Amino acid sequence: MIKFGRGNLRIPRFEKPVFVVAGGLTDFRKKYPEKNTSQLCTEGLRMAVEENDLKVSPEDFRRRVNWVVYSQFADHFGDQLLAAAKIHDYLGFDPLGNIEVKTGGATGGSAVLAAAQAVASGYADCVPVVGWERMDEVSTKVGNSYIASAACKDFESELGWMYAAYYALMAQRYQYENNVPRETLAKIACKNHEYACYSPYSQNPGKYTVKDILDNEIVSDPLSFLECCVMSVGAAVLILADEKTAYELSDHPMQLTAICGGSHTLRTADRRNMPILLLPNETEATYKDYFSGKRSEWPGFSSFLASRMAAYLAYHMAGIKDPVEDFDLLETHDAFTISDVQTYEDIGLRPYGRGREFIDSGEAYYEGKLPTNLSGGLIGTMHAVGATGVFQLVEVLWQLQGKWDKFHADPERWTRYGKKKPADFRSLQVKNPRRGCAISHAGTGSHVTCAIMEKP
Amino acid sequence: MAIDFPARCAEVVNKDPLVIENAKSWSHYHTYGGWGRFFTGLQQKKILATRCTNAACAEKRLWLPPRCECPDCWHEMEWVEAPTVGRIFTWSIVKYPGELFRLPPDTPLISVEIEGVCTKVMSWLKKGQPKIGLPVKAVFNTDKPTNTIVDLAWVPA
Repeated sequence: MIKFGRGNLRIPRFEKPVFVVAGGLTDFRKKYPEKNTSQLCTEGLRMAVEENDLKVSPEDFRRRVNWVVYSQFADHFGDQLLAAAKIHDYLGFDPLGNIEVKTGGATGGSAVLAAAQAVASGYADCVPVVGWERMDEVSTKVGNSYIASAACKDFESELGWMYAAYYALMAQRYQYENNVPRETLAKIACKNHEYACYSPYSQNPGKYTVKDILDNEIVSDPLSFLECCVMSVGAAVLILADEKTAYELSDHPMQLTAICGGSHTLRTADRRNMPILLLPNETEATYKDYFSGKRSEWPGFSSFLASRMAAYLAYHMAGIKDPVEDFDLLETHDAFTISDVQTYEDIGLRPYGRGREFIDSGEAYYEGKLPTNLSGGLIGTMHAVGATGVFQLVEVLWQLQGKWDKFHADPERWTRYGKKKPADFRSLQVKNPRRGCAISHAGTGSHVTCAIMEKP
Repeated sequence: MAIDFPARCAEVVNKDPLVIENAKSWSHYHTYGGWGRFFTGLQQKKILATRCTNAACAEKRLWLPPRCECPDCWHEMEWVEAPTVGRIFTWSIVKYPGELFRLPPDTPLISVEIEGVCTKVMSWLKKGQPKIGLPVKAVFNTDKPTNTIVDLAWVPA
C-alpha cells in the first residue's frame, strides 16, 4: 500500500473507556530451569492480583474475569502448540473463553490491543493479558535461527539466520544517510544497561562507557553484543477493565486512551517509496530539505512505516499534539540501538534524519524531558518476546501510579530473585507523571503498536 | 501381553531442577509453489522478476523477489528477466550467524539496488569488500545448487 484511500486512515475509537488496574512480572533470566512456563505465568498473575493494592480478594478477582488474552511469540521456542490452553488451565480460568495473539516481537502490544478491543466493545469487562516466552530450551545459535524464522524463509532467512544482521543492514544505511556517530548509538546501550541496574527483574544490567560498547565484540557489523537485546525466559501480566470494574478493583486505575497498530512488509527490502505520513507536530515544511544528499526515499531502510502508522493513529486517538511535550515517560522496543534511533523519528520525537538529537540532548534520560526505557528496556532488562510488550505497559502503569519504588526499591524484591539490591541504587520514579507511551515492535518493523496510558 | 519400556532413554541435562534432552531430527518439505520458477531461473543464470499484467492497475514496477499476484490488484503477474548488475544499497558482515547458515561467518550480506526494480534484493557478496554504492554483478551457484536464495550471489562489477 503506498496510497491511502478513504477508510485507511480512519482514527480508531473505543466505544467504552478502557482502564488498566494492575501489573505483575517475574524476573527475567537467560535460563530458568527452576520454574516451568505455567509457574512463571502464575507468578506474574499473583503479583498483579496480590501486590497491586486491589480492593478485592484474589478469589473475588477470579470471579470477575470474563475473557483472557495470551501472548506468546514462538511455538518453536516453547515446543508446545496450544500453550495458551495449558496456561489457561493452570491459571484456573477454565471454562472462560480465551485467545492467543501472535505478531512477532509486537505480540505483547497486540495482545493488549486485543484485550482493549474486548473491553472497549463491551464484550468483556475484566481481562487479564498474560505474556511469556521460554527461550532456554535451545542453544543461542538455534534460538537465533528460530527468531530468523520470523524473516521471510523463502528469500531472506537463509541469508544469516540472524535477526541482528537484518538490523545491521539498516544501521549501515541509516548511518550513511544521516551521519550518525557510533557514539550516539552506544549511548543508548549505556543508558539502558544502566537503568537495568535499578531493576530487580533485569537480566543484563551493567555500567558501561561508550568505549566499552564500541570495543565490545561485534555480532553483525556495526552492532556489538551490548547493543542487542537479550534472549529471555519470564512472564508479564497486565489487567484491563472497563471503568466501573476498574474502580471497584482499584483506587488508582489508569486509562488506556489509545492503542493502535501499523504494519509493513516482512522483508525490509520490499518497502516501496511513498510520501512521508505526517504526525500532528510535523508539516510539509518539516521535510522540505529532507530529500537531498544521500536521502532519496521514504521509508527506505532507515524508517519504520509501521511505527509511523501506529503513532499517527494513536496520537490522533488520544489527542497528542507533540509527543515530547505530551508524554512524561516512554518505553521503546530497543531490540537494537539502531532501531531505537529510528523509532525516535517514526514516533515524532524528532523529524526524520535527526533522531540522534533526542539522545544527544539528554531528553531521553531520567529527569530529562522524556525519560525513555527507565525499565532497562530490551537491551538491559528483558526480551522474553511474548512478555515484552506487556512488561513495558506494566512498568508504565507503575510509574503513572507512583509505585515504581514499591516494585523496584524494596530490598525484598531483590532477595526474592536471589539478588542483592545494589548499594548505589537510585530511584527512577518520574515526578508526577500524567501520561506514558509504549511502542511494541516486530520483525524489521512488520507490526508495531503504540499504546498511550494516562491518569484519568 | 507385556510391553517393554522404551529402549532409548532421554539424557538428563541437569538433575535438580530436572532438565532432560528432547532430541529431534527430521526434515520439512518446503513448497515454493509459484515462486519455484525464480529458483529454477537461477540455474539458467537468470534473475526472474515479475510485473503486473492488469491494464487497470497503476502498479507496473518490477518485483524481486517475485510475487505471483500483484499486491495492489491481486491480478496475475508476468515473468520478466531482471538486470544482473546493480549497486550495493547497504551491507553487514555477520560474525555470529544462526544455526542452519550455509555460508561461513564473516560473509558479507548485502542489499542490491537494481535499476527498474522497486525493491532492494537481499543477497551476499562472494568476493571483495562491501561498500555502499559499489557496482556489482550477479553470479550463480549452478554446480551444487542449494535451490535456495543462497544460489544467487554478487561480485564487484
